[in-house]
Amino acid sequence: MSKQSPLHFHRMKDMPSTHLLGTGTPTCAGCGGLETLHTIYDILGEKTVFVNAAGCMTLLSVYPFTPFRGGWLYTSMASAPAGAQGVRDALDILLQKKKLSPDENVEVVVITGDGAAYGMGMSATSGAMDRNLDFIYLCYDNEGYGNTGQQYSPATPHAARTSTSRGSHGYPGYKKDLFAIWAAHNPAYVATVIAAEPLDLAKKIEKIKGMSGPRMLISLAPCPTGWDYDPQLSVEIGRLAVQTGVWPLKEYSDGEVRHTKVPKRRKPVEEYLQLQGRFRHLFEPQRDAAGIAEIQSRIDAYWERAKVG
Amino acid sequence: MFRIRFHGRGGQGMKTASRILGTAFFNAGYEVQDAPRYGAERRGAPIFAYVRADKSAINERGVIDRPDLVCVADDTLVGMPAAGVVQGMDAHTVLLINSHETAATWQQRLNTEARVLILTATEDVEDRAELPYIGSRCAAAAAALTNVIERETLVAALTEELGHLPADVITQNRDIALRAFDDMKQHAGLVTPGSMPSASDYDRPEWIEMPFDNAAISNLAIHAGATSVLVRTGLWRTMRPVINYPKCSGCAWICSTYCPDGAINVRADGYPEIDYDHCKGCLVCVAQCPPHAIESIPEHVAREQEAEASA
Ligand SMILES: Cc1ncc(C[n+]2csc(CCOP(=O)(O)OP(=O)(O)O)c2C)c(N)n1
Ligand code: SF4
Ligand SMILES: [Mg+2]
Repeated sequence: MSKQSPLHFHRMKDMPSTHLLGTGTPTCAGCGGLETLHTIYDILGEKTVFVNAAGCMTLLSVYPFTPFRGGWLYTSMASAPAGAQGVRDALDILLQKKKLSPDENVEVVVITGDGAAYGMGMSATSGAMDRNLDFIYLCYDNEGYGNTGQQYSPATPHAARTSTSRGSHGYPGYKKDLFAIWAAHNPAYVATVIAAEPLDLAKKIEKIKGMSGPRMLISLAPCPTGWDYDPQLSVEIGRLAVQTGVWPLKEYSDGEVRHTKVPKRRKPVEEYLQLQGRFRHLFEPQRDAAGIAEIQSRIDAYWERAKVG
Repeated sequence: MFRIRFHGRGGQGMKTASRILGTAFFNAGYEVQDAPRYGAERRGAPIFAYVRADKSAINERGVIDRPDLVCVADDTLVGMPAAGVVQGMDAHTVLLINSHETAATWQQRLNTEARVLILTATEDVEDRAELPYIGSRCAAAAAALTNVIERETLVAALTEELGHLPADVITQNRDIALRAFDDMKQHAGLVTPGSMPSASDYDRPEWIEMPFDNAAISNLAIHAGATSVLVRTGLWRTMRPVINYPKCSGCAWICSTYCPDGAINVRADGYPEIDYDHCKGCLVCVAQCPPHAIESIPEHVAREQEAEASA
């Protein structure tokens, strides 16, 4: 799609004051994934068609209710990018045959959770990037299989309790680096975002609106239900993820990675961890100093390697 | 067959209540079905779970529409049509409500033939989303009312179903459940198994006839956008955010952007306005408002104030 618009998100005040996404959706109160989606939708606009793999967000469109102004397609968990290919091809054929006028064209947007993106949808996504599919991919990463009761996924962070990691030390594995995996495909654009930093998010969406090819977004999505915290802390926890360096905000294009919001002085990671029930065992009944130190050292090592901050 | 429905809000433990009661029935020698209603059981949303128990195989399926017992954890749901609490109740039904109010008040308010009992609300919590132990209390009260489940059978079922919790939490649940069980013993046997309805007893569903179109040119399309606004998610709210306008500095882009649901609109004068039909009560706005101009009050208190003001 060829649109070129000047970047106009400079201050919080520039954020959209009307919202496109309909209210009345079935996501949990305080859902960080929905918060990302509504912000992105406001900026992308209604000329969009969403292709949604199984996950919490599939409940958004349950006939006859939909929060979207346009089309929505449901696919199996592993194949949303393949669904997007079909939709894009169909649109392109209609455009070519002049059965669709250019102003009726729409942007194809994949929405999936982390379970789909980091796990079983990886192959379909890789294929879509190989074929340089013209689409946007939004992964809302709530670090587990939220819709089915927060089982662990390849995006679950080390030590988090999930319904399938109930042991005293939580999930023994480590979160997969999806940003690096996607960037290694050299698509048009890859970025990490978070709804708690709306300006950073808005600037990135504004940027990809004027681009074509695969534009890949991973949004950390604080999830009160799966992470076990009071819903009113959703934005606070998201902001702490950035300030502690747990969730680096960055973008990739043309072979280069740039950090877009570097925390000046990183806060200790325990400020982030201790607000969430899934990490409570690191603090109660006794403080697991070694466990916390390990998590901290991995964050420090990341920023050391990144040579920023 | 016993047919029992538990009504509450997502997070109050109605699924657990149905599991405890189901397991207790099973251990008492019954065939059992217990299930939460599958759907969007999000925190605060009205939900229900149900139990069927019989001495012989159960062939009935689906949600219970002729309950012998309806057990309500949160009395703010009773009058809410979307919660469906009173659905299918008749003179045979017992309605057990966890409430600070009396049975007579509810009996009169609902004008129902059903027998109303009160599970005296012990909790005094602000936020109804956090009624402690209510799942265990409801299960225990229901068990006592059927008079076919012994104390020990209930305790064994509770211990089994809560087994993943710390020992002190299980003990607390057990003690509180047994108190409810003993309280309800005075009405033991009030809930009796309902009869088997025959197919002809069922009302015809209200079908909407849809004419068949040529499949090649038709599909079930929704041509209207954003139809989700017809769903009143405001019913999920247990705490209500209220804007104190004199304190509000008019930076509506903040609360309006952070509200996950987009339920804060910006008025023509630049000030924010909360859409209470859809606000789920997450209170992110309360936490994010820079001048702390948004307060939260319990939803049931807000409704009482509204009712008084309009009276
Ligand atoms: C192939 C397949 N396996 C399992 C499921 C059941 N399922 C539905 S949603 C879901 C969780 C998806 O997790 P994620 O992608 O992270 O999305 P979230 O639920 O967290 O939003 C699962 C396992 C499915 N739909 N398809
Ligand atoms: S489980 Fe988490 S991600 Fe899913 S709807 Fe609830 S808050 Fe959102
Ligand atoms: Mg997930």
